[in-house]
Amino acid sequence: MFRSTTTGTFSALKQSNFLPFRNYSQLRERLPRSQSPIVSRPAFFNSVTFDGQQIPTYRVLDGVGKLLDATFTIEIDEQLARRLYENMQLLPALDNILYNVQRQGKISFYMTTYGEEATITGAAAGLAMNDEVLGQYREMGVLLWRKFGIQQVFAQCFGNQEDMSGKGRQMPVHFGSPEHHFHTISSPLATQIPQAAGVAYALRRMRSGAVAACFFGEGAASEGDFHAGLMLASTIPSPVIFIVRNNGFAISTPSTEQYNGDGIASRGPGYGIDTIRVDGNDVLAVMTAVKEARRRCVEEGRPALVEAMTYRVGHHSTSDDSFAYRPRSEVEDRKRIDNPIVRFRLYMESQGWWNAEAEESLKARLKAEVMKEFKRAESMSLCEVGELFTDVYGGEVPWNIREQREELGSLLKKYSKSWEPWRNQLAKYKNEGQDIMEE
Amino acid sequence: MTVRDALNAAMEEEMIRDDSVFILGEEVARYNGAYKVTKGLLDKFGEKRVVDTPITEMGFAGLATGAALAGLRPICEFMTFNFAMQAIDQIVNSAGKTYYMSGGNVPVPIVFRGPNGAAAGVAAQHSQDYAAWYGSIPGLKVVSPWNAEDCKGLLKSAIRDPNPVVFLENEMMYGISFPMSAEAMSEDFLIPIGKCKVERQGSDVTLIAHSKMVTHCLEAADELAKEGIKAEVINLRSIRPLDIDTIKCSVKKTNRLVIVEGGFPAFGVGSEICAQIVESEAFDYLDAPVERVTGADVPTPYATKLEALAFPDTSLIIKVAKRALYRTN
Repeated sequence: MFRSTTTGTFSALKQSNFLPFRNYSQLRERLPRSQSPIVSRPAFFNSVTFDGQQIPTYRVLDGVGKLLDATFTIEIDEQLARRLYENMQLLPALDNILYNVQRQGKISFYMTTYGEEATITGAAAGLAMNDEVLGQYREMGVLLWRKFGIQQVFAQCFGNQEDMSGKGRQMPVHFGSPEHHFHTISSPLATQIPQAAGVAYALRRMRSGAVAACFFGEGAASEGDFHAGLMLASTIPSPVIFIVRNNGFAISTPSTEQYNGDGIASRGPGYGIDTIRVDGNDVLAVMTAVKEARRRCVEEGRPALVEAMTYRVGHHSTSDDSFAYRPRSEVEDRKRIDNPIVRFRLYMESQGWWNAEAEESLKARLKAEVMKEFKRAESMSLCEVGELFTDVYGGEVPWNIREQREELGSLLKKYSKSWEPWRNQLAKYKNEGQDIMEE
Repeated sequence: MTVRDALNAAMEEEMIRDDSVFILGEEVARYNGAYKVTKGLLDKFGEKRVVDTPITEMGFAGLATGAALAGLRPICEFMTFNFAMQAIDQIVNSAGKTYYMSGGNVPVPIVFRGPNGAAAGVAAQHSQDYAAWYGSIPGLKVVSPWNAEDCKGLLKSAIRDPNPVVFLENEMMYGISFPMSAEAMSEDFLIPIGKCKVERQGSDVTLIAHSKMVTHCLEAADELAKEGIKAEVINLRSIRPLDIDTIKCSVKKTNRLVIVEGGFPAFGVGSEICAQIVESEAFDYLDAPVERVTGADVPTPYATKLEALAFPDTSLIIKVAKRALYRTN
């Protein structure tokens, strides 16, 4: 009995590349399947850092856009800086219009990116264009970085016939585009996290060199899916970067009530995942951290975790009024003290890459482009009525779908000319319902 | 061939045929599966295609869904569908709806499989039948096979299907042997999803069942035959799409309908079939009220005698069939 136990321990230690022991008494000083050192005093701990302090936050630019460490080299030139800046400025340009469009009742819902422009844009720039992105919902900036286009943003939010994300079937901001390697947004929180482990598993088999990038908030990290997803990505193992937007609020719940530990980053090492915390309002820090996370994922075929600390300046969504749970002054203060766009603009100005004139002209151009696409989307027809019934199943269409389609077609045929409410409704659809009436 | 071997053969053949097919779940690889359905697959296909996962249904069902979104064809084994409720959001909201929500851009070819319904002596939380749950979701296909031939042909079709398929097996059937036709032994043998099978022709009463209840219906039909009653037995095979046409034809012929299932009565498979029949022209052919024979409307008890009372058996089906024929009360 004694022998077999020690032999088991011995092989376990050998398996984990631990130095083999020759002496059984030494062996008994180790635990089976563990390299934990034995100590003689009870020592509790509640920190993942060596010194018991909070996990540090990586930052490149200070609050006024100066390099924190002038000796540290970052890969940035004027062209890349301008691209980053334009992407960051495009987000509020779209948010300003689409938020008001929702308020006017023209679309049902919208979510702004206010305050998180650097987190989204920096992460997008740190990824390769063909990395598979699984977003939560506030990641429109990644698609814009990948040239999804303002026109597609409006088409999706209006659900019109030009909507390539989903033929008008998904709520606003639930984008998706295989061409841009951006997975369709799923409303139930955190389901994308274990899925990202699966996407990365598939990439490892089918397209090595690419990674999956999975975005979510600190609130979603309370879902069981978060824990399951990180564990699977680590144990199966798969090249996926988990990018946490820790923006301070899960709708109304402040992050101080969401967790009692050291943010989300402290959970990475618990799952054996390389982890970094980064200043999410510093676009260069986010970009550099995600790039390095990506390098590790590709080289080691394992996951990495990036926690970006930011602040949600806007309401959670158009269904939320955040001044019910946080003072207006707090938001105004954050906007003034640390605006991620201003911080990067100050850096660009210090490099001689930007000035007031460039700022004015960019803003005017973006506003004009956004207004043009808004007008176009507003007057665009919806998809054909028959699209209600397509894509429920791939392959042969089952009888229950066919039957519903035929029933609606025959009703429209019978009444759509004579019944005014239907006639008015049908006028909004491409081909005005002819597609199913003719069948 | 046993049901277990038929399932195993279906997976092996499809994994040979298509490199993108892989299987994952708890203990499917080194342990050969909790019920040994995946026996030998690890040795044949290696760790890349037979993947043991940690114990988290929402996790590995999510991983499987993600792999399908990215172009692989996963077979996700649940130790039992009773535990799949921890993963039901992935099955229903993600796998079931993504093809539609993505405007047809992203298919989700995936099979969720494992034992479903009552086994023996495992009480309330291991004994539920989920056919009606998944059967109510547009975007999912739901299959509930009975014998070895069903299992082989339907599982192969499920793996090749471009849609998510919920494949409901029965633990009590795994060890049962059935004769296999030469055709069914072939690697090209497929059974279409969405079609039921008339297992026994009859003209007096229609007995419809899925999974293990088909066995009881066939036994009941044998007994009824001794009294001169010709029962027609229909094996549903697919829950969604439901082959209501075949059922209607049978009802028009026999004029009496008894639906048998191991699930709860309320909002069940039997309720749905009954509703579709009374809504259709077949209603005019009924000479007796439609009868449902189901599990008792209580959480399944553990004690053997109580458990036996909670599910239909052959004698109960005989009794109800006779009631439909006005031969007894």
